[in-house]
Amino acid sequence: MIDRILLLILFLIGFYGIIVKKNVIKKIFGLTILNSTIVMLFVLEGSKIGSHVPILEENITPIVDPVPQALMLTAIVIGVCVTALALSIVYRLFNSTGTFDIDEIRSKLYKDEE
Amino acid sequence: MQNILIHSAEFVFAPVLLPLLGAAIVFCAKAFSRGRIAKTIEYTGAAIGLLLPWLMLFIILPNLLGGSVYEGTIGGWDKNLGILYKFDGLAWLVNFLGFSVAMAAWFYSLGAGPRGPKFTAIFLIQTAALSATIMTADLFNLFVCLEVLGISSYVLVCSSEKPGAFLASFSYLMVSAAAMIFFLVGIYGLYRLTGKLSYEGIAEALAAMDNGGGITALISLALIIAAVALRVAVMPLYGWLPDAHAMAPHAVSAVLSGVLIKTPLFALSRILIIFPAGSDAGQLMGVSGGLTALIAVIIALSQKDVKKLLAYHSVSQIGYIVCAWGAALHIGVETPAGLVLMTAAFLHALYHALFKGTLFLTVGTLIDRAGNRSVYELRRGAGILKKSGEKIPVTFISFMLAAMAIAAIPPLNGYVSKNALSYALKGRWEYVVLTLASVGTVASFIKLSLIFFPPGKNHNAIAFLENPQKVHPAMKAAELFLAILCLAGGLFSPYISKIAGSLLNQSGTVGINSIPPDLYSGGNLQKTLIITLSGAAVYLLCSTKQGKAVLKRIRERPRSFSGLFTSFALGLAGMAAWLIYRTFN
Repeated sequence: MIDRILLLILFLIGFYGIIVKKNVIKKIFGLTILNSTIVMLFVLEGSKIGSHVPILEENITPIVDPVPQALMLTAIVIGVCVTALALSIVYRLFNSTGTFDIDEIRSKLYKDEE
Repeated sequence: MQNILIHSAEFVFAPVLLPLLGAAIVFCAKAFSRGRIAKTIEYTGAAIGLLLPWLMLFIILPNLLGGSVYEGTIGGWDKNLGILYKFDGLAWLVNFLGFSVAMAAWFYSLGAGPRGPKFTAIFLIQTAALSATIMTADLFNLFVCLEVLGISSYVLVCSSEKPGAFLASFSYLMVSAAAMIFFLVGIYGLYRLTGKLSYEGIAEALAAMDNGGGITALISLALIIAAVALRVAVMPLYGWLPDAHAMAPHAVSAVLSGVLIKTPLFALSRILIIFPAGSDAGQLMGVSGGLTALIAVIIALSQKDVKKLLAYHSVSQIGYIVCAWGAALHIGVETPAGLVLMTAAFLHALYHALFKGTLFLTVGTLIDRAGNRSVYELRRGAGILKKSGEKIPVTFISFMLAAMAIAAIPPLNGYVSKNALSYALKGRWEYVVLTLASVGTVASFIKLSLIFFPPGKNHNAIAFLENPQKVHPAMKAAELFLAILCLAGGLFSPYISKIAGSLLNQSGTVGINSIPPDLYSGGNLQKTLIITLSGAAVYLLCSTKQGKAVLKRIRERPRSFSGLFTSFALGLAGMAAWLIYRTFN
């Protein structure tokens, strides 16, 4: 039970980071934390199904369900891609506005438009 | 030829694999410095990735019309382990829509930019992700496809290199990446309950449980629906769309608005059709679709930036589609009434892709030539285009055709599909809402069309670019191609509707035609006239002093980054509460 509560707290921290923090880099941290939480959730819960290492040989039963781990490998890869892309976009935003604050970025860009 | 038809089961992967192959070839072009060889390689890759799959679709079509469906697991794995796919009529239709618009848009980008192998390759990857999304029958694979689709579209939005585009892309990325994490939580819930990932496996396992999976299953389903609905941009999850679509390069805007928001919707229908709670979910989506159609058109009417106006219209039109789509799922797509609704929804999705694509391309051409994108300032568009070397006013004619199509003027395609929608929804409250939204559509397109005409007396003339850039022939060809499809879609609508109806009809028994038999009857034409006239009246009302003040307030309503997340949370909570309420009452 305690592990699930810890995961929930971690999830909320990530979500808090995305919504409340003004700094765009910290928002990306929040997203990464969210992503890691889900990875941990899948791996943790997946490991509870079965008890042995999933090697398909005789006498090794019941094996741990290998599917959640396999899924999370993909999810980690996607998460890294999204983080990298987000950071590169933020770099370009910083180049054109000179700030990391989301509200300032917005107001500066809108001023250009008006 | 006979041989090809027999082996056509392998052809169904062509729309996914060929664009990826094309992208790989296009990347090779980067090995050569700018020159003939690089260009040839790039164009070959694009032809393999866009034209070839489009042609291959026609090879498969007779078999699908004959009632066969290609399904199985990728790589021939066991059904419980492998990734399931299903290529049926729905997948064919969405692929056809996607490749037609993508081809025209890529061709347009040859003239208008962004050019180069990097853009082409990412564009091709996006197209591959589109057809993978609609083909998949596996929940985790859907997650991967949506992410590939998302990542390529974030990059494409950025490729216009405007600072505003980076902010739009960043907001889009953050909110949809966060939504996809909720999607994963949904997958986790369903996997924990059933131990399956394929749609059918999960649905069977849930139906076998005595309480249908209980609250866990419902909340998991709500998480998945909310994450997909965010990509579809229905109320209240539309906030990221207008900026992203308005800031993207014109060719990309056409694909984003025309295809990218509809594919996840039809992919979602695969899940909702077979899940126990799918019909309730469809009902709520339908309601929010109806509201979206009306609210978004009001916001569109208030916009100043021409491309933002078009982007809000995409939200409004997707509302029409979701409205009929949700009603179809609520009734059940296997019933005749449900099938008529679903066909009408698809028909409008296809036709909207055509006319919205044309609108984004033509308006994009004009604002690049004029150097101004304000609806209130830009005037004399036809003259500017003439100065930039358009002897035959292709852009202007294409624009007018598409604008009349979206305002539902006969005999263009928008008239047919909007009538099909109102025929299918007759006697329901959605009918009234959609009719009101049509009035708003007419009003805002009167407002938009003015940019092509000479200014009125009191209009402050604005200086324009001295020597506007020439309009590239590729751009004209792309505009004309889509505009002609708009016209053809209206004229040949009975055939198109029949094909779409029989492709969507999985039981394959009765012939369904969603086109009302009295399409050009006096009553319908009269209704169109009334809508058009009241649209004109609404426009006049809006151009008074008070009207302008109201519109300004709507336009300048507060919008923020965290608002995107708040509305996502609200939408998610609403969907979950609704599903739980319906199941336990």
